[in-house]
Amino acid sequence: MASHGVPRPSTITTKDEQARLKEEKDIKDYKTLVDLTSEREYSLEVLELTSKLLTKNPEYYTIWNVRRRLLTYGLFSKPSDSSLPSMELPSTSQTDTTITSSADSSSSSSQATPPSQNSRMTGKTGTTLEAIKNDLAFLVPLLMGWPKCYWIWNYRLWLLQQAKERLDMEIARAMWTQELGLVGKMLTRDNRNFHGWGYRRKIVAELESPELGGSSMVETEFEYTTKMFSASLSNFSALHTRSKLIPKLLNERRSDDGARLRFLTNEFDLIAKALWTDAYNQSAWFYHEYLMTNLLEPVRQSTITPNMSSTERSAYVVLQIENVKEMLEGEEECKWIYNALLGNTMALWQLEERSPMSDELQDCKTWLAELRKLDPLRRGRWDDLEKEFRGF
Amino acid sequence: MSLVSGPGRAGETSGSLPDELQLTIEPHVRYIQSLDSRRDELEYWLTEHLRLNGLYWGLMALHLMGRPDALPRDETINFVLSCQHENGGFGAAPGHDAHMLYTVSAVQILAMIDALDELERRGKGRALVGSYIAGLQNTRTGTFAGDEFGEEDTRFLYGALNALSLLHMMDAVNVNKAVDYIVSCANFDGGYGVSPGAESHSGQIFTCLAALSIAKRIDLVDVDKLGRWLSERQVECGGLNGRPEKAEDVCYSWWVASSLAMIGRLHWIDGDKLKEFILRCQVCSVSADNSTEINARQDTKMGGFADRPGDMVDVFHTAFGLGGLSLLSFPDLEEVDPV
Ligand SMILES: [Zn+2]
Repeated sequence: MASHGVPRPSTITTKDEQARLKEEKDIKDYKTLVDLTSEREYSLEVLELTSKLLTKNPEYYTIWNVRRRLLTYGLFSKPSDSSLPSMELPSTSQTDTTITSSADSSSSSSQATPPSQNSRMTGKTGTTLEAIKNDLAFLVPLLMGWPKCYWIWNYRLWLLQQAKERLDMEIARAMWTQELGLVGKMLTRDNRNFHGWGYRRKIVAELESPELGGSSMVETEFEYTTKMFSASLSNFSALHTRSKLIPKLLNERRSDDGARLRFLTNEFDLIAKALWTDAYNQSAWFYHEYLMTNLLEPVRQSTITPNMSSTERSAYVVLQIENVKEMLEGEEECKWIYNALLGNTMALWQLEERSPMSDELQDCKTWLAELRKLDPLRRGRWDDLEKEFRGF
Repeated sequence: MSLVSGPGRAGETSGSLPDELQLTIEPHVRYIQSLDSRRDELEYWLTEHLRLNGLYWGLMALHLMGRPDALPRDETINFVLSCQHENGGFGAAPGHDAHMLYTVSAVQILAMIDALDELERRGKGRALVGSYIAGLQNTRTGTFAGDEFGEEDTRFLYGALNALSLLHMMDAVNVNKAVDYIVSCANFDGGYGVSPGAESHSGQIFTCLAALSIAKRIDLVDVDKLGRWLSERQVECGGLNGRPEKAEDVCYSWWVASSLAMIGRLHWIDGDKLKEFILRCQVCSVSADNSTEINARQDTKMGGFADRPGDMVDVFHTAFGLGGLSLLSFPDLEEVDPV
């Protein structure tokens, strides 16, 4: 219903009879499967039906919920903290593979599941562990096939939460740790996958939490962004993540003012290298602007170098403007350079609380004229900038 | 994108556009009308989990085209109410679990066809719908979950405020906390993500700005910074992408353009080129009139908008394509409220 990147056939053709019959059969099979997958009992059989249906259609969110309820109320061995379902289950037949629901197994040991039935699901390490492991494995090919499906990612997180609540910490921690490998693989396949980066952030937060006996991973995650950025210099997701890690990183390192200044300079060098490689790398330019913001924000509010004095900031900004000017050599057609020069020069006036000098104003007008020429799509923005100049 | 209002804007004409870039309403109306008659296609059954959203997008498109009656009102109301659960929430279709996304769609649909009263008359009451939504607010952080399983996303936060404002039940939730939460999702580029720490994304920016608009706190936005980032979403072909270095797409054209409109910076992109891009994404039967063998069945395929030129059309991109055109004051379309 919301299709992306599906090409339209160039000619309209009537489906031939064979294709029509096949579609008819596919629909019938699918509808039968949907009908079968009702929540009539919390059994392995129904679990397998949900697997089948979700493999055909992982967007069917209700079926993911059915699966959650199957596990929570039926297949997990320990009773959950959450309240049990109020609905009455129809009594299950004697011949099916139903695992006794957690309500039963906790209320009375005399109703314990016969081992022969139990062993079909549990193995040596217990029902819950096996159920979660099996489910995590079931999801991997689905994630590979549908990396942008919200419901699969969510379900996987839910499973891992269950592991945290129901299993020994060591075991749960090992499961969460494994996820870093999986999401690393996903991000290698698509280094901008929105879900992948979000998932990684959540995994890391859990692994850092005291509930999983964790400690900060900011250094290794920062390194990961360096790695991802080096592999692809226009990876905005990596740069964004970097911007979020920096304040925490500097705090944990207990960096003094000198170390912070060196850090800032390193970041500028890193981004300058990317821009020298490709002056049209807009991701790098946005990050450059972020680094500049650190210099342009009021003292004590900036994240990287909060104690830098106004004079030091001014000098640093002037230096950066000079660096950017050098990039113009051979790249006179690159709008991003003019954009940065203009923005930073105007910010300098604000920082120094002064009016522009006449040569600066002249420069800015020249740069603006270039922007108008090179980037007509955004002429409304250039019009607004020009109005600002008229104030001087 | 709650409701369309007022008469179509007068003014600029599309007279300068070449023929294939004209908007012909009728094929698009027929395309939407055809959607529910496609039970012989597997795709119809595979997308049941989107039925209620689909209805909303279809109705939104029809309202924009000035044809609100093109779908039968009674049937629409009956279907919406058939998706409601005892707890007040709505699922995507009968038998599907209740979820914020579909509850919001249900409220939007009923509001659009002026049928919110039906919640009292035949549904489970307006108050119960509001309390279902309010119950999904995270009282600690202010954001909202999609359902009882707790996935949180600024999409749900926006949906909640949107639906509650239509129900006149904003008092049921902690709006200030929700606003604080949005602020905590802001990034260095001025944009917003799904949660604190998440990368800026045009869809998410739309939801955060719309939520701030509903809460009357758009003053919290770094307008110039965000405006610059959003305006850079326009690429050479005139279309807009959702994030840096991504491909253009009609739906992002809507998220970005309406976001720019909400912060008063729509003039920072080239509206004419965007219109042309959107129009190139439409399928229109006029261009195929020469073909002699168009039967009724095929004819229903001759309307709608795709994500980009040459791709398959769908109702989602049809609604947002028309929404984009309306935002850009396209003649013959009703004016759209960017929120
Ligand atoms: Zn799209």
